[in-house]
Amino acid sequence: MMAALGAYQEALLAARSAAQAAANWWSPRLRLGVTGLTRSGKTIFITALVRALVAGGRLPMFAAQAQGRISAVRLTFQPDDAVARFPYEENLAAMRGPDRRWPDSTRRISELSIEIDYESAASWFRGARRLTLDIVDYPGEWLLDLPLLEQSYAEFSRMSVAAAREPARISLSAEWRAVMAGIDPRGAASDAQATKAADAFRRYLLAARAEPHALSLLPPGRFLMPGDLEGSPALTFAPLELGEAAVPRDSLADLMERRFEAYKNHVALPFFRDHFARLDRQIVLVDLLTPLNAGAGAVADLEAALDHVLAAFRVGRNSLLSTLFAPRIERVLFAATKADLLHHTSHDRLQAILGLLVERAFRRSRERGAKTDVLALSALRSTHEATVREGRSMLAAVIGVPEAGEKIDGEEFDGTAEAAIYPGDLPQDPKAALDAKGGLDLRFVRFRPPLVEKDGLGKIRGAPHIRLDRALEFLMGDRLA
Amino acid sequence: MASNRPRAFRLHEAENGNFSLEDKPASRNAVAIAPDRSLESELAETGDPDLSLSPAVGARGGRLSFGNVLAFALSGLALIGLSTAIERGIASLFDQNAWLGGVASALAALAGLALLGLLGREALSIWRQRRITAMRKEATQLRENRDALAARTFVAALANLYAHRPETARARALLAELDRDVLDPADRLAVAERELILPLDIEARRLVAASAQRVSIVTALAPRAVFDVLFVAGQSLWLVRRVSEIYGSRPGFLGFLAIIRRVLSYLAITGGMAVGDSLVQQVLGHGIASRLSAKLGEGVLNGLLTARVGLATIEACRPLPFVAVPAPKLSDVAGALIRKSVAKPKGG
Repeated sequence: MMAALGAYQEALLAARSAAQAAANWWSPRLRLGVTGLTRSGKTIFITALVRALVAGGRLPMFAAQAQGRISAVRLTFQPDDAVARFPYEENLAAMRGPDRRWPDSTRRISELSIEIDYESAASWFRGARRLTLDIVDYPGEWLLDLPLLEQSYAEFSRMSVAAAREPARISLSAEWRAVMAGIDPRGAASDAQATKAADAFRRYLLAARAEPHALSLLPPGRFLMPGDLEGSPALTFAPLELGEAAVPRDSLADLMERRFEAYKNHVALPFFRDHFARLDRQIVLVDLLTPLNAGAGAVADLEAALDHVLAAFRVGRNSLLSTLFAPRIERVLFAATKADLLHHTSHDRLQAILGLLVERAFRRSRERGAKTDVLALSALRSTHEATVREGRSMLAAVIGVPEAGEKIDGEEFDGTAEAAIYPGDLPQDPKAALDAKGGLDLRFVRFRPPLVEKDGLGKIRGAPHIRLDRALEFLMGDRLA
Repeated sequence: MASNRPRAFRLHEAENGNFSLEDKPASRNAVAIAPDRSLESELAETGDPDLSLSPAVGARGGRLSFGNVLAFALSGLALIGLSTAIERGIASLFDQNAWLGGVASALAALAGLALLGLLGREALSIWRQRRITAMRKEATQLRENRDALAARTFVAALANLYAHRPETARARALLAELDRDVLDPADRLAVAERELILPLDIEARRLVAASAQRVSIVTALAPRAVFDVLFVAGQSLWLVRRVSEIYGSRPGFLGFLAIIRRVLSYLAITGGMAVGDSLVQQVLGHGIASRLSAKLGEGVLNGLLTARVGLATIEACRPLPFVAVPAPKLSDVAGALIRKSVAKPKGG
């Protein structure tokens, strides 16, 4: 039955991609997926990217614009009517003015399309052309659901319970485990009990994600990022300690299992099939600084989460998943965001740490489908750099306005004072960042968005960024050649 | 107290403002914060960023050889002879007529001043030329050692080299704007090469192509071999001078000689390779043309020679090595020449 379903899905997918290829011939489209775990900077990245393209910002390493071949960029209507529009204008407005703040974070999938009129410089196809870029923004947590598709409820329960007993999580999961202990999985199913277990499970996941723990590998993804499904039965389940005995019909465990299957089939799978499988390019934003703040345990957890995210990009040929959907992503860029919280002398090290995480994950897989690259970037730079001399020592620092409530070295900020922050030095050897023994002395402070610079005519100049142009060149430069 | 403990410095607490890294701190616990300097302040403060620290500059010269000693002694003798002759002349003029003697001594002083000015200009032009050579080496090093701050200073110096050229205004403004952005050193150099140097490349290339064509036509038409030898030599010298001016050398007489020497050394190095990469073209172009007419074949050959001199000059005078922009090949500047000379007899 599964095979028949697979063949049907595959035929559907093939028909759709053939139709898309035909449409592409007339008006080329590029679907760019932007993802990353919570607070990795997806929203800001997209807003800054669209802003830089539309307003013609400073992008010296983005060849098409640097060579003056882009004649016009404008927002246009998105192809999928069932998907929310990315609130570009609201985000832009939020980051301006005296009470500027970072925009609200991604909670669901959203889309924004822009049309780029350009002239091709490739020798065969010279002349005016148009590329439509569809930017798809979705929470990275959803990619963590991919392994779930292959798991049964019993396996999922066993792994979740085992993970909750790990040293980093044992105190966090205490409440949920207590609730679980008071429930008989083989008792009669009741909605109240299911809700109680699901709520406790969700609270545990949320607590693990929050600072100072900053853990990342917390499936199922929709528990943290429910999107439009908040409170639906498909999200009201939790792992249970099942033991070995068979599960009787109409028991609580049976109900949970049904809901887990519903989650897989009606929540997780449609996302992979309808959105993920149609992406051409992908950027994965990774906030390394928060886990580094929290310590080596959080970095190791991030590595595990990245491992699962990467699994989505290297679906093998023989697995069940590859019959359900075949990703066609050609290029994946891993970007360590918030590089502006560091002095540029540390960027290479930040990039090396991310490179190591990604490389190790790839080494574990046999094939590498897409072309990948690693970058340290900041889509909107909120600081400028400075050298601080204290007594005899020289420190490479960054100057900005730290957000209210941010603390460093016993000092708390109110969100108005400007300060030079020395966050500590990243280790020369990236492996030291992953070792628990290292005991790194690092503290990265969040800054408020920068005040917008205006030139003499009152026009807003290109916003400062770090390597946004390199990211653009990698992701779409070849399509604008 | 660990010196690399993460911490914050509120801006109003610090003795805010610029300090240079060599300044001694006021007290042990004094804190000073200096925003990393930008291009504008760099240019405003120092006018001409100092590149003389670069080891490449001092590498040449300074060695004592018999030739140098001989030249020094002879020129000293000549100078003494000349000055005593002038002095004696002025003295005898004073004996005859005090008024005439005054005029003569004033003229001698003027001549001395002019000589000083001339020497100063020559020295400046040689210094400029050496600085450009030093920049090439420095650019290669910068790409390797990823020093972002040094790359910024370097690009500022490069922009400053062309500050007197109005047509580079847009490129310089762009580089100044990029100055505060975080860019990898190689990227920054690539932008500078593309924006600032590429227009100069195009100008130089056009000049070389035009010159090569002129030489080939004159050679084909000149009635006597003497004329075309003279013309090729004159045209080559003119080309070397113009190309070096395009890249900002502004050579005087001695500086010009130095450039010629460098061009010759480049020709010696690249001559073999140039034959290698375009042998077929040269033989073919020359072969077909010479079979049609001996004079025409000579024209093509002389044109190719001039083009090669032009390319060597570009190579010698460009302040950045060719990285972001592909180096011009012989066919880029002499391609038209071969095609034309082959096409012409066909038509006629």
